[in-house]
Amino acid sequence: MAQVELSNISKRFGAVEVISGLNLSIEDGAFCALLGPSGCGKSTMLRMIAGLEEVTDGTIRIGTEDVTHAAPKSRGTAMVFQSYALYPHLTVAENITFSMSLAGAPKAKQREAAERVAKMLQLTHLLDRRPAALSGGQRQRVAIGRALVRDPKVFLFDEPLSNLDALLRVQMRLELAKLHGDLKTTMIYVTHDQVEAMTLADLIVVLDKGKIAQAGSPWELYNRPANRFVAGFIGSPAMNFLKGQGDGQGVVLPDGTRLAVAQHMAKGAPVELGIRPEHVKVATEGPIRGRASVVEYLGNTSYAYVETDHGPMVVEADDQPVKAGDQLALVPDLAKAHVFDATGQAL
Amino acid sequence: MNAKSIRRWNLVGGALTGLTLIVAIFWAFPIYWAVVTTFKFEQDVVKAGVDWLPIRWTVEAYINALFNTKLGLWYLNSLATSLMITLLVLLTSAAAGYAISQLNFPGRRVLWWLILASFMVPIPALIINHFVLMSQMGLLNTLTAVVLPQLIAPVTVMIYKQFFDSVPKDFREAALMDGASQWQLLFRLYLPMNWGITTALAIITFIGAWNNFLWPFLAVTTEDKMNVTVGITQVTDAFGVKYARQLSSAVLAGLPVAVVYLLFQRRVTQAIMLTAGIKG
Repeated sequence: MAQVELSNISKRFGAVEVISGLNLSIEDGAFCALLGPSGCGKSTMLRMIAGLEEVTDGTIRIGTEDVTHAAPKSRGTAMVFQSYALYPHLTVAENITFSMSLAGAPKAKQREAAERVAKMLQLTHLLDRRPAALSGGQRQRVAIGRALVRDPKVFLFDEPLSNLDALLRVQMRLELAKLHGDLKTTMIYVTHDQVEAMTLADLIVVLDKGKIAQAGSPWELYNRPANRFVAGFIGSPAMNFLKGQGDGQGVVLPDGTRLAVAQHMAKGAPVELGIRPEHVKVATEGPIRGRASVVEYLGNTSYAYVETDHGPMVVEADDQPVKAGDQLALVPDLAKAHVFDATGQAL
Repeated sequence: MNAKSIRRWNLVGGALTGLTLIVAIFWAFPIYWAVVTTFKFEQDVVKAGVDWLPIRWTVEAYINALFNTKLGLWYLNSLATSLMITLLVLLTSAAAGYAISQLNFPGRRVLWWLILASFMVPIPALIINHFVLMSQMGLLNTLTAVVLPQLIAPVTVMIYKQFFDSVPKDFREAALMDGASQWQLLFRLYLPMNWGITTALAIITFIGAWNNFLWPFLAVTTEDKMNVTVGITQVTDAFGVKYARQLSSAVLAGLPVAVVYLLFQRRVTQAIMLTAGIKG
């Protein structure tokens, strides 16, 4: 187990800077999710920690060691790849103990390690099969087993569940959470799926264009987004944004409607009011009016997509039945509203 | 499709089959004639008229080739040089293909272009250089001289490079995380991932080395160091041409290759397709 410390990390591919001046500290035993849209630099960051990508500037420390220029094998990390990267010519047991075999460990010791790991991951009956004869979930477990056998200080996961179907993904997510609970080893997990990040991690780092947009607990990111990017990225359906102007403790919408909020703003300052779909009620009277264009019924709730004078909004409509085409009045719970200034920072 | 058009297709198919059969007969006839001749007495071979099968059967030509020539030794020489060439060509080509495909080093692109360029130069154009070089190294009339110039195999390097290029980089990175060195990556991961390519290349390299005539003919003049392809040119007689004897030596020389081909038909076809892909 070890703490991971990234200081002033930059990465350039030619003239393109994909990560710039990034600082991050991941505590010993933490489950950290790197979350962000495609191309934000999260996989590059993971690969730099793994040693598969050179760092242009800055230092990486794992535990007390500076591993910035160390070879991948000497960093005490193990990685689970998105494609699983199981060696097709080797059996499950041979895949799991490939690192031991390369290091010249005796066959009996390898078999013992393979059996120990297989027992943890319920792979015992598959040890002599080749990867081609395994299902997606089984392959994923073998890939995790290959990382486990190395007893690393830090586990690195590069979108490990993205090739699985929805049901299996949920199951594997639970297994990963359990594994982390059992091992208590530092885990760094790259994903673009916020549900995975929210459910697994105790630290989520949201990346935007190679910079940390916000790092914090899932609760913080959802309820206290530091900026408009995080507010819009976390949550599904996404937060609604209404453009307006500041007026003390209120936001004045373009049609003159004033919405009183807790935040304080300069009069006339351009701002955006952010409100999550579940914090908007459908009522008979309200400050925002619009027409439901689409209604999605999900069983436990419904989402209505409403065309308002202030732009499209999504609202949770589980209190009263809504049909497409209905004229609706919307009442935002302004105590839970967020306000962002012209630069996108939360007020 | 109605009955009339089906009949027309059958006719076209039949005509094509017939044509293929005629071509096959043209191709196979010399082999048939050579084999049949080896079982004839010399007098019957040269007598007027055509005997499709021997009138009198004999294996005298084979006994002569086996016991009155150095065929056994030539076989051994061929086997030793062909195996050595196959082993070294595969080793060097796999290593070169791996380096060019997977490693970053100064001059990699230049090296690749040089290999591509060397592929454009026909081997006979280099044969005088090879001869002078071997002569200056004092290696003429040795098996080493037969082997060394045949180790230049740009096609094999290109096939390996193409294959290594196609291996997803996740495998390489996973193995690097597992602590693999470059040699381990090549011999524990890349080559075992598809032994089919190596097997196919080994067979075609072996057949090529076994069948090679021109270079071993120039490099070796002492009978004891000759390959079987060169050695059979020595099966002559002071009293004129002995067709049955010469053809029996040729049949025996070609027999191992025929056996290899029959045993590994699928692999040989695969190898030909691999090299054709490069040459095409």
